Amino acid sequence: MKKRKRYIAWIFLAPSLIMYLYFFVYPTIEAVRLSFYKWSGFSKNMEFVGLKNFSKLISDDSFLAALKNTLLLLVIGGIGIFLLAFIFSLLLGSGIKGKKVYRAIIFFPFIIAPVVHSIYWGLLVYNPRTGMLNQLFKLLNIEILAKFTFTDIRHIFGSVLFVVIWSSVGFYLILLMAGIERIPPYLYEAARIEGATELKMFFKITLPLVKEVLVIAMIFWGINAIKMFDLLYAFGGILPPRSLWTNAIYLYIVGFGKRDPIFQLGYASAIGVATLLLVVIVAFIIRKLIRREIYEY
Amino acid sequence: MKVNKFSFRKLIMHAILVIWCTSIGMLLYFMITSSFKTNKTVFKQLWSLPEKLSLTNFANAWSNLNFGRYTFNSVFVVIISVALIIIISAPASYALTRMKMRFAQPMTFFYLAGMGIPFQLLFIPLFKIMASLNMVNTLPGLIIVYTALSIPFTVFLLTGFFLSIPSELEDAAFIDGCNEFQTFFKIMVPMATPGIVTAAIFNFIGLWNEYMLALIFITGKENKTLSLGLYSLYSSLQYTSDWASIFAGSVLVIIPTTIIFIILSEKLISGITLGAIK
Repeated sequence: MKKRKRYIAWIFLAPSLIMYLYFFVYPTIEAVRLSFYKWSGFSKNMEFVGLKNFSKLISDDSFLAALKNTLLLLVIGGIGIFLLAFIFSLLLGSGIKGKKVYRAIIFFPFIIAPVVHSIYWGLLVYNPRTGMLNQLFKLLNIEILAKFTFTDIRHIFGSVLFVVIWSSVGFYLILLMAGIERIPPYLYEAARIEGATELKMFFKITLPLVKEVLVIAMIFWGINAIKMFDLLYAFGGILPPRSLWTNAIYLYIVGFGKRDPIFQLGYASAIGVATLLLVVIVAFIIRKLIRREIYEY
Repeated sequence: MKVNKFSFRKLIMHAILVIWCTSIGMLLYFMITSSFKTNKTVFKQLWSLPEKLSLTNFANAWSNLNFGRYTFNSVFVVIISVALIIIISAPASYALTRMKMRFAQPMTFFYLAGMGIPFQLLFIPLFKIMASLNMVNTLPGLIIVYTALSIPFTVFLLTGFFLSIPSELEDAAFIDGCNEFQTFFKIMVPMATPGIVTAAIFNFIGLWNEYMLALIFITGKENKTLSLGLYSLYSSLQYTSDWASIFAGSVLVIIPTTIIFIILSEKLISGITLGAIK
């Protein structure tokens, strides 16, 4: 048997590594560097301002509003998604008929373009003049909801949040179900013989044993929520109202905003760095909250 | 008595699931029926079926609103990007998991760390790089951006798959005198096909649907992708109010991913399961 040549591995790695380094890693480092400068993009002269961009962030009302929305999306959206995913996984795991069909349909909105979700919910569901939701509540004689404006700037973020949960839950359901299906059935049988209730089995068997998968799924959600752009941005029409801004959208508006160009590229980079820090903190918290104990079974 | 209670519970469970699934079916129903209605009837007769199945809206979107061109751009950019992503990520994932290379663990971490970077952070420097290469507002430029930014997630999925392949196969190939390249192409790629298919579908769906990066890197009208074209049409709605074409455009966007879903959803679901959860 020939000895395997280890250096060949680097040949396998090279194409992706070159692309990754030049078009991903290098711009990341460059963005961090830019966040210490004041730069409008057109002029060659970049002025080093140290941490000024970051101190400006803390007193910038628009940034704080965007950060609040980002956190709301992350936390409320996350609670909604995982609560529903657990409910559905229990319903589908109970030996119900048509499990695969239900699961596939619940997953379906995940493959639909976010713009299309924005159009459907914006024009046909929430819109007070053209949408069906107000008509539906009128039909059901629920006065308060029939007159409720779902697209009002005060309510629009909540309305979008529902769309985010509704369209994302299927993906996390699949992850959770995969984790639950790995749990050996004899554990449940034994618990049942001992007289455990369904609820008890969920908290004592399912939840602890699905932890590892849950951590992966939650970190996934954290990253996706923080960088979510397409659905929220399209929901606001030509220029999303401030009540819809998240970090991702605010960065785009400050850096590229097409309507009235601002081009504060250094400041926009600082928003990006703050957002990256948020990702790191969130991943850390999730890992801490749900310590990865490996159960042998 | 017990039997009754049992079936009542089943009924409630089915009811919850059916209501949720109906809300999903409604999206398809309303988007498709609306795409056949006219600007006058689309909101007035929201609930009813279209009077006739005329393709006027599709024809209008396709030629007058440039969606034909956008469709071609999307097909071109997405297919080439997906192919490139797989061609460069599969060997990398194999090297990281199976070749007993030095620094395999820190290198894997280095690749996966990219998943945590919010793409928005990269906008400005990456735009600068693409501008220096004269690739802003070109389809090859967009392909490069799509390929590079998809590496971390694809490597994440594929390393999961390569790890699940038993090492006996590899050893046998070496005993039979295969070199590293033969082993990879003749043994490992066929074994990892389910993973490669999952990664390809995932990237296809993600890139077909995305418009954020296209919005940054495509500045001209001619080079828009389908999702970006639809976004532009939607955001200019307050000036044009051409509702019917919007729905036709939306249907164009969702056709390919829906077809993939119908044919491959079981594969995709089991693929996510295998790749993301080793």
